[in-house]
Amino acid sequence: MIPLTIISGYLGSGKTTLINQLLKEAKKPIGVLVNDFGELNIDEELINNEDSLTLSLSNGCVCCKLNDDLGISLEQMKELNVEAVVIEASGVAIPIKIANYGLSWPGFRLLGILSLVKGKSLKHLLSDKFVSKTVKAQITQADRVLLNRFEQEEKDALSELTEDYLTEEEVGSYWNLLFKEMAASSRPEITEDNHHSIFQSFVLETEKLINIERLESYLNNNTSIERAKGWVRDEQGKTWLLQMTRNDCNFSISNYETATRMVLVHTKDLDIKSLEPVYA
Amino acid sequence: MVGVGGSSPLVSTISLNTFFICYSYLCMIKVYKAKSIITMNPSLPRTEAVAVRDGLILETGSLDSMKPWLENNDYEIDKQFRDSIIVPGLIDPHLHPSMAAVLLPTFFITAMEWRFPWGDTPATTSPEDYDKRLKEALTNPTHKDIFITWGHHDLWHGPMSRSRLNKIESNKPIVVWNRSFHELCMNDGALDYLGITEEDVKGASQIDFERGRFFELGLGYAIQKLNPYILDPDKFKEGLLKLKEVVHYGGQTTIADMAVGLFDFDNELNTQFALYENDDNPFRVELIAHATALIQHAGGSNIKAEKLISELPERNTHRLNFRKRVKLFTDGAFFAQVAQLMEPGYIDGHEGEWLSTPEQFEEVARIYWNQGYAIHVHVTGDLGLELAIDTLEKLQFEKPRFNHGFTLEHFGLSNPEQVHRLSKLGANVSANAYYVHELSDLYANHTVGFERASSMSRIGSCFREGVTTSLHSDFTMAPAQPLMSMWVAVNRINEKGVLMSPEERISPQQGMEAITINAARILGLDHEIGSIRAGKKADFTVLAQDPLEVDPMMIKDIKIEATLFEGKVFPISNR
Repeated sequence: MIPLTIISGYLGSGKTTLINQLLKEAKKPIGVLVNDFGELNIDEELINNEDSLTLSLSNGCVCCKLNDDLGISLEQMKELNVEAVVIEASGVAIPIKIANYGLSWPGFRLLGILSLVKGKSLKHLLSDKFVSKTVKAQITQADRVLLNRFEQEEKDALSELTEDYLTEEEVGSYWNLLFKEMAASSRPEITEDNHHSIFQSFVLETEKLINIERLESYLNNNTSIERAKGWVRDEQGKTWLLQMTRNDCNFSISNYETATRMVLVHTKDLDIKSLEPVYA
Repeated sequence: MVGVGGSSPLVSTISLNTFFICYSYLCMIKVYKAKSIITMNPSLPRTEAVAVRDGLILETGSLDSMKPWLENNDYEIDKQFRDSIIVPGLIDPHLHPSMAAVLLPTFFITAMEWRFPWGDTPATTSPEDYDKRLKEALTNPTHKDIFITWGHHDLWHGPMSRSRLNKIESNKPIVVWNRSFHELCMNDGALDYLGITEEDVKGASQIDFERGRFFELGLGYAIQKLNPYILDPDKFKEGLLKLKEVVHYGGQTTIADMAVGLFDFDNELNTQFALYENDDNPFRVELIAHATALIQHAGGSNIKAEKLISELPERNTHRLNFRKRVKLFTDGAFFAQVAQLMEPGYIDGHEGEWLSTPEQFEEVARIYWNQGYAIHVHVTGDLGLELAIDTLEKLQFEKPRFNHGFTLEHFGLSNPEQVHRLSKLGANVSANAYYVHELSDLYANHTVGFERASSMSRIGSCFREGVTTSLHSDFTMAPAQPLMSMWVAVNRINEKGVLMSPEERISPQQGMEAITINAARILGLDHEIGSIRAGKKADFTVLAQDPLEVDPMMIKDIKIEATLFEGKVFPISNR
């Protein structure tokens, strides 16, 4: 059974920051499911079987879509060697509904729900006409609440809703928080395992023009880069479709007019600054 | 009587050669004489004849009044409808061909009667009758790999279980899909066929393997196993062809696909173009893109999604057209009871759902508003509606627009103040009246209480406030029969036979407006369709009885005899 943790919280509460922190800390491959409209849906083909994996999901009910993105992604997770899964719920998700996947989806085991609260917006959100109930549900349904960017006054307001909260300063390790502390004692502990490599990805979006030859040689010679995919605009203003794997780096002319926009999947030791020479 | 048929040369011509060959036909005027014509043109509401040439209406009036047209032209008077009532071609401004295509190939066993061109599905209202129907259906050899039936309802048909199904049939795979879409049940054969074992689903709280039941998230698991069968391209085509019959049978000459991209944007679109763009197709399809689906196509960028949507009309054909319209969503589904409600909410205290944050909804709406789109917003609960109205108010303040076509779709729960506000802001309403029929009793007794349940689909208020209001089926949520929608809106009788909020009933005249001219306005096509007057397209629906004269309780039972699409007759047989 793959352990599963839900991270919930309203828009701007710091969910993505936390996930990034977690990815940095993680010593074994984890799967991350993002249940929201991301800035860029990372192409699943980019990721190989041993990577940490990020999948983007859309909102909606199975009865209206005859499809269950979250369920399908969980099935995919099973086929990969991820050892734990984190679901980043959408800003309006009722966490207990997502948590049901952990209870109900075959092959997974729910560890708990962590809800994030941004202190500064708490008061405003709790009195908001449209989302006050959603935000309240996110706080009260959580196993733990993590409060960030707050004043004493907001801490008091939160105490009225839950006692089970902690602040950023009190977090030693997100990995431990999510996969050890949240787990009830009766559930088996996840064992540490270091031999899998951890990949990360980032999106390069730039108006700067790119020298294709130098980019190609950069990608071929940089051992930290596992995959790359996207569109690249060169000095002549032409757009190229880039598809790069460990074995192959391929550019083809594209009719799609866009500034450079690509995803790089890489290991931790990639220095983004090393990309400088590829600009025209 | 003049013969009618499928090969009339009146249909639009493409090549120059064809044009010359058809020339005399193009000039030929056809005059249809009816017992009465309900024009929906307030300046000339009733006539008895209509003259048509090349798919357009030349004039409606009496045979006498149209003499000037006939004097110097070839013409023919067609009296096949002399005992019938002609109304403007009926319009369903919101249904989902893709959902329909998935559901129609399944076998319907339902508590309500559903009428289909291939035969009516009678109301099945007891567990014994349910099992009997299922047994009979299994002898039908048209179902090959896996037998899927839709419509089971615990209240009427009793609890479903694996053992109950096994008693009927244990080897052949059977899947029973609940009317709510939120639950299904399998027999041994289906579990075997799909390779679902007890080991696979151990510990899953919303799967009851022993009873073969999959509900809520467990349903997601089951659907995923079933998807290769229900979304199989051949089945999908079969479903769309069945929908074609259903739409014609309901008397519709225009429908709108109110969320292209529900499953797979390109596949849905290409299949519809392939199957519906031909001379034998008796209706046009207005295509409205699902903004969220396009956002995913555009790599998460709202701006790029708008650009993609703005380019969609380049794909237009004669019958299938994108215009400057887009579909957005606020709250969850009404049938699933996840609409967002204002105080005092649901009786059992559960929460509704947002489909995106209000901030995200506003951001997306602003992009389309500022680009001049007509925005159609799925709203089901009063809080979902409130978000749409608040957003519209903000956008009106930032960039005022007139006759902007902002339309509230479904319109489950609302309050009178909201109807007043949305009227002042110039919004339209496209309502699903069928909610009142199928859900008001359930909502009154279990969900929100009688006061709010009785006034769901608050259509009378919309007419009183001067809101342009249409009715839709949201098929497969309700039957794709505009006369059925009209019947509910006019009578407001629920499934238990109880009258719900008589004040919110509308007159038959208003009901007719809602499925013709108002529906045309809501799709921005009122200059071409929706009424019978000189210059509009010759889209007609031919009825055996007069919907404005008949006992209002009989409206849903009026026989539809034929439709005419752009002047071509498409008879409806088998009724």
